[in-house]
Amino acid sequence: MSRSARDVAASVGAVFTGVFDQLAAWRAPVEHLIDGAPEVRPAALDTLVAELVLPRLTEPQPLLVGAGFIADGEIVRGRDVHFAWWLGPLDANPVLGSTTEPTRLDLTTRGYTEYLRDFRALEWYRIPATTSDAHVTGPYVDHLCTCDYILTMTMPVHAVHPAGGGAPGGTRMVGVIGADVSVRRLESELLAGFLDVTAPLALVNEEGRVVLSTEPALQVGQLADLDGAGEPCPGTPLRVLVDPAPSGSIRIIR
Amino acid sequence: MGPGAREAVFAQLADAGRAEQVAQRLTDGIVLGVLGAGERLPSEPELARRFGVALITVREGLGILREAGLVETRRGREGGSFVVADDADHRSLISARLRGLAQVELSDMAVYFGAILAGIAERAAERASAGDAERLAGWLAAADFGTAASARTNQGGFFLEVAVLSQSARLVREQIRLQAEFGPLLLLGLDDDEQRADAAAHDRRIVRAVAAHRPAEAREAAGDLVRGLSVPLLAAKARVERGGALDEPVSA
Repeated sequence: MSRSARDVAASVGAVFTGVFDQLAAWRAPVEHLIDGAPEVRPAALDTLVAELVLPRLTEPQPLLVGAGFIADGEIVRGRDVHFAWWLGPLDANPVLGSTTEPTRLDLTTRGYTEYLRDFRALEWYRIPATTSDAHVTGPYVDHLCTCDYILTMTMPVHAVHPAGGGAPGGTRMVGVIGADVSVRRLESELLAGFLDVTAPLALVNEEGRVVLSTEPALQVGQLADLDGAGEPCPGTPLRVLVDPAPSGSIRIIR
Repeated sequence: MGPGAREAVFAQLADAGRAEQVAQRLTDGIVLGVLGAGERLPSEPELARRFGVALITVREGLGILREAGLVETRRGREGGSFVVADDADHRSLISARLRGLAQVELSDMAVYFGAILAGIAERAAERASAGDAERLAGWLAAADFGTAASARTNQGGFFLEVAVLSQSARLVREQIRLQAEFGPLLLLGLDDDEQRADAAAHDRRIVRAVAAHRPAEAREAAGDLVRGLSVPLLAAKARVERGGALDEPVSA
């Protein structure tokens, strides 16, 4: 019982910082490719992104269940939105089946097209577009790809050339680079550390949604009361609550 | 809009009679309008991967659909299997499907679907944040229930949107599986204007209960919705068994 809530929050921050550092490392060559020409060939983008992300999706016990680059249409020839997104090997996935190799996310069916018509309004795109900063979306059940409870980390990608209304010499956002982490996998990284603290703890997102909890009465997926400030996890919108309780603002009427 | 109803068409299959299952799944999607006329199905290897079956099984299944005149296969660069438009034929296929299932099977499917949906709605009402409820309401407000095909797609999408708010991956997976097995049949009644208006009204009740954090009301509305959908289904079964046409209006 040697650790404090602050230590635990720092260890959460370290895991997420690791992912964001990876996203930043992927972003540099993608931005370089985009800056090389006013319009990028989809195949060139796909090849580059696959080379970058596949090693992290196929390593032993991968932290990431999916990763890639989502471009808004302007920079990709002939596309409205372009997904260069790969999923790691999946277990018994009800939508995509079981896979032992990474799979490219296939967006050719109409359902996806309709869902993604408004992709700019979806949190994983909208927030980085608004803040020009990295963002953590979730936890949420991803019904598009993994059918799992996940967190999505996204980081804006910018281009310097002025086409499409950006100020000459300025930059504009042309997409996001991102990765998905399953809550289950995150738990395996973090639970032992949380259990090293005597007091019950909960890791929650900005709205109080529980990612991990050592308080049995407050479970993953529930909303926690955010009255206590808790310990912010550095570099993330998450925090660790001490002696957490289910949200009191939400009165369950039976 | 979520791709739920459509993606469910291609969800994993159980073990027995797999080529027939491939054919049945796609037939349900086509005859009930979840897969539209002229639409290209995913490639054979893609279907094999998604159904979790061998390529030859997919080819066999598509062969059954070609025989039935539901798809046509074109060769070449822009080739593939395309959904054929033929309403009259589809009606006779739905009748055959209804004849193939016992009344007790149909009503038990509705009971199970209703139980899962009620649990989903209850959990969603407990767990949705204010933002989640607002997004769900916005989603439903923008969803078109004007035609049978759009109502089926959007009703399926709504089931999935609510399931996501339960925060349970298992409930989402089960919802997808059940929609694959039973969704198009359960939504048969949405051919009728009044049924579409009723379903949309129940959906709005669910949204209001979720927004107000009233799990018991959300559960009740979900139960009413599925009961409402099961009535025209069982009425259609009775009409078909009597030798009548599927299209005759539902008698009260």
